[in-house]
Amino acid sequence: MTDFVMETRELRKHFRLIRAVDGINFSVQAGEIYGLIGPNGSGKTTLIRLIIGLLRPTSGSIQLLGETMPNKAVLSQVGYMTQASALYEELTVRENIAFFADMCGRRDATWMEEVIALVDLQDRVRSPVRTLSGGLRQRTSLACALAHRPRVLLLDEPTVGVDPQLRSTFWSYFRELAGRGVTLLVSSHVMDEAERCDRLGFMRKGKFLAEGTVEEIRSVRGTSTLEEAFLQLAAMETEGGAH
Amino acid sequence: MSGRRILTITRRVMKQVLRDHRTVALLIVAPILVLSLGALLFRTDPVAIPLGIVNEDQGMSLPVVGSIDLGQRILDELIESDRLEVIELVLGEVDERLLDGSAQGVLILPEDFTADFLQDQQAELDLRLEGSNPTRSMTITAQVTQAAMESLASLAGTGFGMPGASQADDGEGSLPLSVEVTYFFGGEEFDTMDYVAPVYIAVLAMFLVFLLACVAFLRERSQGTMERLAATPANRAEIVLGYMLGLGLFALIQVSVILFYTVWVLKIHYLGSLALLFLIITLLAFVGVNMGILASAFARNEFQVVQFVPILIIPQILLGGSFWAVSEMPQYLQPFAYAMPIYYANTALRDVMLKGWGLAEIWPNIAVLLGIIGVLYMLSALMMQREVA
Repeated sequence: MTDFVMETRELRKHFRLIRAVDGINFSVQAGEIYGLIGPNGSGKTTLIRLIIGLLRPTSGSIQLLGETMPNKAVLSQVGYMTQASALYEELTVRENIAFFADMCGRRDATWMEEVIALVDLQDRVRSPVRTLSGGLRQRTSLACALAHRPRVLLLDEPTVGVDPQLRSTFWSYFRELAGRGVTLLVSSHVMDEAERCDRLGFMRKGKFLAEGTVEEIRSVRGTSTLEEAFLQLAAMETEGGAH
Repeated sequence: MSGRRILTITRRVMKQVLRDHRTVALLIVAPILVLSLGALLFRTDPVAIPLGIVNEDQGMSLPVVGSIDLGQRILDELIESDRLEVIELVLGEVDERLLDGSAQGVLILPEDFTADFLQDQQAELDLRLEGSNPTRSMTITAQVTQAAMESLASLAGTGFGMPGASQADDGEGSLPLSVEVTYFFGGEEFDTMDYVAPVYIAVLAMFLVFLLACVAFLRERSQGTMERLAATPANRAEIVLGYMLGLGLFALIQVSVILFYTVWVLKIHYLGSLALLFLIITLLAFVGVNMGILASAFARNEFQVVQFVPILIIPQILLGGSFWAVSEMPQYLQPFAYAMPIYYANTALRDVMLKGWGLAEIWPNIAVLLGIIGVLYMLSALMMQREVA
């Protein structure tokens, strides 16, 4: 048994000639917010889908909550928020949240109310999802991922298309959840979000260019911002590839 | 109006359709398939209807005229008919042949048939019809009546018969012939609609839930909830079964409406158990649900779902024994009929509605429908594997 909640070893996923994930090694501890940071098409979504078991790896291994993935049983303790809001349009906010809680076999009325309060949806619980704005849908989607009181949350670009205020609110939720011992893996292509993570992996073309805390990455690269560090690493990787 | 804008939209629409290769292929293949099937079925020469004849007529010898055998004359006339395939039977076989459908009607000519006619100047034909197909029943009755009238006309030179008579079926008036028709199944009150009603019921029960299931499952994928669902402990079999039962409930409501309307509003005759009809239609609706779920795996959008209609539904209607009896189809098309789920429902529905059969007789069709549901269910669950690890 490992001490890590999540761990990958030499993880690879190839789609014919495309190496979407190419030898990723990383681990996440309980209560940690780990950021997968990289541009679109860098392999973040594929990595998350591998971890949750929606894809089978070409090679390498994934451990999640001490189990080798894919493993359906573990998923009752894992929350997943897809990039699109992925909700049932005809159902109300509460019905959507209750549905995903039931699917994981862990419906708890008190917890559901807590989740609804956390994402500030008390006034809209009876609204059908089709009547909600983009921001409210994202909140509902996050609430669905939290509905069954998961120990691990995998959030695929949860703040994409979200206004700055709501983005800030989301990160407050994430920090609060981490404070309660929930482990979060959050993907993003926005550098200011990277700053909010406990640790992060810079992804490009299916590989990690750097991995560690914000401070570690900045100091190793000798830059004042993460963005500069990333651009420097990307340029080095391109030159290395060209040579 | 801007011609340029209109052309821009036209170009865009053309590009979109052309890039959906399957749509382009189906636009060409689907009508060819449906037209070919229609041509094959409509142009097929009608298959001769099997008619049994029990000819016990002993004939009669008359001093001047010689021997007269009216029964043999009728038999000879019937053998000449290209609409009938005459099978000579003995009396003990009649019920068995009508029951298994190997004879669609039996004409019984008793031993004193000629003698009675010569004595009474009136021939009474005992025609027993299988009765479940009104069209066939009408054909047999017409052919038998015509053959009998021809035979009677041929007696004109002997001083017997009524050569001027053209038809008779009720023994009234001056006609020398009456045909006493009895029905093994159904009866005179059964019309063509009674025969076609089971088909309508079957097609409606399957077609509508097929579309519902196909679109519902497709939306699950297109709106991303399938991915989310797959990231829960639910496995593929559970997801498909959940869908099957959820949509099946609506199928049951629809089945109830169809049955109610058919029986109580349209006054369609049925002889067997209503519960059994409900069971058959429900099973067919579940076939439709599973077929829809399976087909949705091959569709990327609602447009492609609609394309399944000429590929999956119309061949079922044409080949599934709905309007053409399978035995009357060209030999090479008959195996396809047995591959159509609707064939088994049609057969079972007709057996119950028109013949009054019970579970003891129709269980093989029920078993096949259950088997088809099982196979489609497993295939649907397997096809999800393509999308979800």
